[in-house]
Amino acid sequence: MILPIGPIHPGLKEPLRLKLKTQGEKVIKAEIDYGYVHRGIEKIMEGKTWQKCIYLAERICGICSYEHTQTFSETIEKISGVQAPPRAQYLRVITNELDRIQSHLLANSTFYKTLDHETLFMQVLDLREYIMDSIELLTGNRVNMGWNVIGGVRMDAEDKHLDAILSKISYVEDNLDRHVALFEDAPILGLRTKGVGVMTREEAIKGHSVGPIARASGLKHDYRQEHHTYKDYFDFKPVWRKEGDNYARTMNRYNEITSSINLLKDAIENIPKGDIRRPVEVKSGYGEWRGEAPRGEVTYMIETNGNLIKRISIRTPSIMNIDSCAKYMLKDVATVADAVTTYASADPCIACAERVAITDISNNKFITKDFFEISKEYNNKFTTNDFFEISKDYNKKVNLSNKFNYNNDLEVN
Amino acid sequence: MTSFINYIYNFARETWLRGFVNSKSKEDIADIPDRFRDFPKVEKEYCIACGSCTASCPSPNAIKLVRDSDNEESQGLTFPIINKSSCIRCGFCAEVCPSEPKTLYCGENHFIQEDFNIIPSKRKYVIDDYLCIKCHKCQDVCEVGAIDLKNNRMVVNQSKCISCGKCLSVCPVKGAMKGVFIANLEEQKEIIQLVVDTLESYIESKQDDLKEIHDDKLFLSEIDFEPLFKDSLNIINDEELVYEVLEKAINRLNIRLVIWDSTLCNKCQLCVGECPTGAISFDNEYDEIVRNKDKCLRCSICYQTCPFSAIKYYSAKFNLDKKDSGEEVIHITVKESQLAKRRA
Amino acid sequence: MLKTLKDIVRKSSIHVCIVNCGGCNGCDVELVACLSPRYDLEQYGIYVHNNPREADVILVTGAVTEQWRENLRRIYAKAPEPKVVVAVGNCPQSGDVFAQEGGRVLAPVSDFIPVDAAIPGCPPRPSEILDAILAVAPGAIAAKGRIQDK
Repeated sequence: MILPIGPIHPGLKEPLRLKLKTQGEKVIKAEIDYGYVHRGIEKIMEGKTWQKCIYLAERICGICSYEHTQTFSETIEKISGVQAPPRAQYLRVITNELDRIQSHLLANSTFYKTLDHETLFMQVLDLREYIMDSIELLTGNRVNMGWNVIGGVRMDAEDKHLDAILSKISYVEDNLDRHVALFEDAPILGLRTKGVGVMTREEAIKGHSVGPIARASGLKHDYRQEHHTYKDYFDFKPVWRKEGDNYARTMNRYNEITSSINLLKDAIENIPKGDIRRPVEVKSGYGEWRGEAPRGEVTYMIETNGNLIKRISIRTPSIMNIDSCAKYMLKDVATVADAVTTYASADPCIACAERVAITDISNNKFITKDFFEISKEYNNKFTTNDFFEISKDYNKKVNLSNKFNYNNDLEVN
Repeated sequence: MTSFINYIYNFARETWLRGFVNSKSKEDIADIPDRFRDFPKVEKEYCIACGSCTASCPSPNAIKLVRDSDNEESQGLTFPIINKSSCIRCGFCAEVCPSEPKTLYCGENHFIQEDFNIIPSKRKYVIDDYLCIKCHKCQDVCEVGAIDLKNNRMVVNQSKCISCGKCLSVCPVKGAMKGVFIANLEEQKEIIQLVVDTLESYIESKQDDLKEIHDDKLFLSEIDFEPLFKDSLNIINDEELVYEVLEKAINRLNIRLVIWDSTLCNKCQLCVGECPTGAISFDNEYDEIVRNKDKCLRCSICYQTCPFSAIKYYSAKFNLDKKDSGEEVIHITVKESQLAKRRA
Repeated sequence: MLKTLKDIVRKSSIHVCIVNCGGCNGCDVELVACLSPRYDLEQYGIYVHNNPREADVILVTGAVTEQWRENLRRIYAKAPEPKVVVAVGNCPQSGDVFAQEGGRVLAPVSDFIPVDAAIPGCPPRPSEILDAILAVAPGAIAAKGRIQDK
């Protein structure tokens, strides 16, 4: 039998439909329907100045909003051939890591909520508020910060701000161990998380998964290793685990928080004095840049025309993670209750994922299947990467298929 | 009963009591840091109505310039109003506001250094020194003091300019003050190419009419502006920009046309050798002269060489005009080249 | 007597359903933050269940995308009377930054379902959300309930 969950469901934060094929209590297979939050951001950005686009990039996703603006600015800085001043780079690292901590704490607390462990849910959320406070203290807003600009950051952080952040971080660090121990040692939580929703390393590679989910499955990849700021100024090593189950994903996020806290302390201690912004004359050209968002790797491909954005394509981590969650983690889960927790442990962010919407030309309706299903229907012609490729070059879309209109954000209306 | 005792016991505990007394009330949670960017505050009196806040706002409908009605004593004030249900609290309007002191305040005051020209404008204002008569009218009208006399030349300081366009409207010399579209130059070239192609093919389709005209007589015709405008909008979807580019291109365009009458051609192949770019060649297979339009420079050498007058040479001028009915048309004036007379 | 009792009950026990009809997630995150011990929505008798069938208050976030055109009305119809709709954030009120050329949003929400109150901000702070919900929800539900009883 097929059990639909969502789009509005107590277990889900965001609208998305999970279709579970069950045999008794056991889940055999899962499918995912998308398309509830497609807003057409890439299309809106076309022909606008970067000053306006940066606020749109921020609103791709509310949880990891910061990394989007940073990658957007760094792409344009790369096209223009400049780099932000060192102090700005440090400030960007501070905000980025704060954002990562709050996102991971939120992901873990949502996971506890689906496990119905109210105590940990509340305590972890409370911890998160300290991080939110320091973000607001630094940038002026809690969620959509409006803090990055091309060539640097908008406001300088004074010593009193940095000290306040440091004290809040230390509070979180002191209290985090208690919560981790509570999760690590609890026998019942262990029964519900260990060995549930396993994704092996091979499957993670096959499903193109990225971020903490891939790292929990043994893929030792973190883009921060290759990022120039982390390379030049910090000693950074990715955190990873082998098990690939719900327990490993949650613990991996905790370990990343610890590593982020160390980075933050390092950054606040060694922050250099100097300018926070450099004037940039935006050049025409094409550039690609990546960044490590809390959920994985974000790729921006931008074509500029002077000050204007001519064409933009964004690849967000969640699209791959949700696909691999449906295909590998949710395959053979013991109970339906575990299916929801497994889904939550993959930390899905639908607002990120909705980059492409596919419409059937014949009746002008959205096709709400996941990309694997569509590619199967069309003889495995497409993979997620193809959709990515298509969105990169929209002249291709006509050649690839006559049946579909790749109504990506960029389709010319 | 046991649960009741349990409650009493729990409530009487010291930790619970301390927690109850110290628990945060509403005022404490509403504690907002200094840097928090709330909705922008407007100080009407300082506004210079330049419109940079509305131009820079990333959210549509969030900020609007309104004007109070005039009364006996003074003119009504012009000032921005914030629509709270659209404002995203980015503080960008406060950052770009050029008035001194600032009209808009949002959170901790954003400073702006002069070298960040961050007003996102499609136009860049420049002064053509060749045409400028140095009347200083633009300097007087500029609200932010961006225009100055430097080395006996009027210069726009781009880092101060807020792209309000007031200088453009007061300039007495047509073309001395320019608001050029800096972005999408390649597309603008495409539009101009489109204009040339359309007009040229239109005149070529009227070859029979052109044969009728001799000496000083003119060939007059009209073509609709609308289809050309629509085609150009496909290249850049910006009506204001496209109209301005088209208008300038059409009014300044001077096309020279080389038209071939193959019935008069005797295949002497004189023109093949004369052509400076090799645009003309002889096709042995079909036994005819072939002309490559893209290579042609319209230099009129072939026209001057041809002994049989198979080649005709015209020059065409255009004018964009509005009819009484409101329809816009392009007037075409084609004239046979003056070189003909000399030959005779 | 019964009416006052009903009023008190309606005011003190409010069940909330969050409907994200196509936003950036920011408002949803701030609503989750309202549940945290710092703000503690539950101390005012407000419970987030995310189930439209038992909801008194529907919190709409997001700018109404294509898929929600019909579904939003269906969800509204499923909620039992008396019900109150609160639009959280700018998206349901005006479409925010998405209501531009090229965007595929159908904001405002009030075109689809009646909206009783709106909280501006992108996203609003949890304290602003709390203030607005407390100012509107209990009174509005009681008032609507009284009308319904007649």
